[in-house]
Amino acid sequence: MSILKPLQLTLAILKPDIVAQPHIASQIKNIILRHGFYFVRSKLLTLTRAKAEEFYKEHEGKFFHNRLVSFMSSGPISIHILARENAIAEWRKLMGPTKVLRTIYENPESIRGQFGLTDTRNSTHGSDSPETAKCEIKFFFPEFNIKEWEVSEAPLFSDRKLEFDPVKGVHFCVDPKW
Amino acid sequence: MAAPLSTCIRLTERTYSQQSTQILKNLKHERGALTWSCLVQILRNASYATIRLRKLEQRKNQIFQYAGEDAKGADRLYVWGNATTGALGIKTYLRPKRYGQHEILTQKRPARLRFMDVNKFKVLDVACGYGFTVFAVKSNTGHKLLGCGINSDSQVGFHEEPRNSGRVLEYIIQPAVIDLPQNDPAALRLKQVACGRAHTLILTEKHGVFSLGNNAYGQCGRGIVEGEIFSKKSSVYRIPGLPENITKVVCGQDHSFFLTETGMVYSCGLGADGQTGLGHYKATGIPSQVVGDIRGENIIDIASAADCVLAISDKGDLFGWGNSEYSQLSVVTDATQVHTSRHLPFGKLGKIIKACAGGSICGIVNDQGQVFVWGFGILGKGPQLEMADFPTEIPPTLFGRNELQTDTKVVDIKCGLSYYGALTDRGDLYTWGKNKWGCLGLIYNKDQYFPLKVSLPAESKMVRCGVDHMVVLSQSYC
Repeated sequence: MSILKPLQLTLAILKPDIVAQPHIASQIKNIILRHGFYFVRSKLLTLTRAKAEEFYKEHEGKFFHNRLVSFMSSGPISIHILARENAIAEWRKLMGPTKVLRTIYENPESIRGQFGLTDTRNSTHGSDSPETAKCEIKFFFPEFNIKEWEVSEAPLFSDRKLEFDPVKGVHFCVDPKW
Repeated sequence: MAAPLSTCIRLTERTYSQQSTQILKNLKHERGALTWSCLVQILRNASYATIRLRKLEQRKNQIFQYAGEDAKGADRLYVWGNATTGALGIKTYLRPKRYGQHEILTQKRPARLRFMDVNKFKVLDVACGYGFTVFAVKSNTGHKLLGCGINSDSQVGFHEEPRNSGRVLEYIIQPAVIDLPQNDPAALRLKQVACGRAHTLILTEKHGVFSLGNNAYGQCGRGIVEGEIFSKKSSVYRIPGLPENITKVVCGQDHSFFLTETGMVYSCGLGADGQTGLGHYKATGIPSQVVGDIRGENIIDIASAADCVLAISDKGDLFGWGNSEYSQLSVVTDATQVHTSRHLPFGKLGKIIKACAGGSICGIVNDQGQVFVWGFGILGKGPQLEMADFPTEIPPTLFGRNELQTDTKVVDIKCGLSYYGALTDRGDLYTWGKNKWGCLGLIYNKDQYFPLKVSLPAESKMVRCGVDHMVVLSQSYC
């Protein structure tokens, strides 16, 4: 019997350039599923400029802050809470480096290498540490309680009694007792 | 040949019948019964052989007519690259004619777009965006605007099928007419079209500039409305406040330029990297004149595929602004973002006639037909990723200048985000760079590290590069 590591949560965002191309969005979701991630919650919304500025507070003062904020508030974005063992590092590895125009040569198999356009329009976002993941999940899903989820739902994910619902974009339990 | 062909035919017929009788005998011998399907097959084979030989004989007697000197070639449109969105405009790629045929999602070799020939449209101009293509064509009933590809931001117009059903098409896989608001559609004269990431600009002769598609940054030339939804929109805007003598419109990814007859440049849209050149980093929906060194110069051309912008004056000087993260503009500044146009003093490059600027790459052509490239990525000078902050020449031999053709010149250069396409005066097209989705048209999927000729059965006249597809307007040889 293998020892199961605890599941980790991370926040993934598909940026406006991807949401505007539905066929690429579905391709990316398939890639995420293929790499063993679970979709815990999903949401589609449009950020206002003020909200985007609040989200990227940590980058304030950097030269790309303005363009990042104006890009993120330019259209609908698709937000997902992903669960997996070591999810944060794995999702960042799957995304590839931020600078798309370099990534297309150095890491062409990654999501950004395949679908990214430019350094700003870099298709996806992912949390970089457990603390920021918590903050970002709270920012987009204030109704979602991580501790409650760990008690009630996480065991199901570990037991793999789940199926993916493509309409809602989340995994649901197939066990009738639940 | 000793025996004439007709004898051959008779001989083959005889041998076949001999064979068949022999086989039949054997069969009878073995099983005692005649297999009808076997006999049919043998006779069919015999008749095929006869037909083939007869055709060969006919071809021998054919009289060839060669095209005269005055023969004019017909327009041919070739497309290749990513076909998933329908941007190539060939319907059968996504809806195969026969049951069981596979969809074609990437076209790696040039494919002819027959739609224009079938409908007798003369193509005036083409523009490629991110997953969509717009054509300005001339038909018997007047000028028309056609579009195909992804339509998630209404960048290819409003297409409801069937009418009044509420089913608005998100992907258009064959060129469809985009209606422009006109009192007299027959009097409409289209001059030029341009496409960005998700918006389209249309320049007309007397009615100014129309825009449609995404306006999140004001790239359509109207005010920005926060939270506006652009899908399933039927409105086309006529941009107000522009001078009347506009000669050219150019689109970057999320910004737009308008060039006047007197060489003035107006811009609007996303300015976060300074790509609008208006002296600030904000997004604006009101076209205003670009500030800086180009004021007072007669600008004749502008190039921008992503966030870096290059402009050429009538004297052959080069100007640049926008993004400079990959040392595109490092000759004048170390900053990564430049919001004011700057003269780029490269010197000794001759009179520049054409320029292109992609995501991290730049290129120019001078009046001698020489090509210079700089920036970061596959620049076309060997199998290494290069970072060049000063233009370096690509040997003209790679563009077909050799002992037999000593005067071959490159006349135009275009680029996508990370690939180039260069056109020579002999009508040859050379491509190189990152080969995403087979957008180089070189049949294979690997990156191309030096210019290579695209095998086109026609003389190329005009080339347009999108993010992941290419369109070439060419003329057949006769």
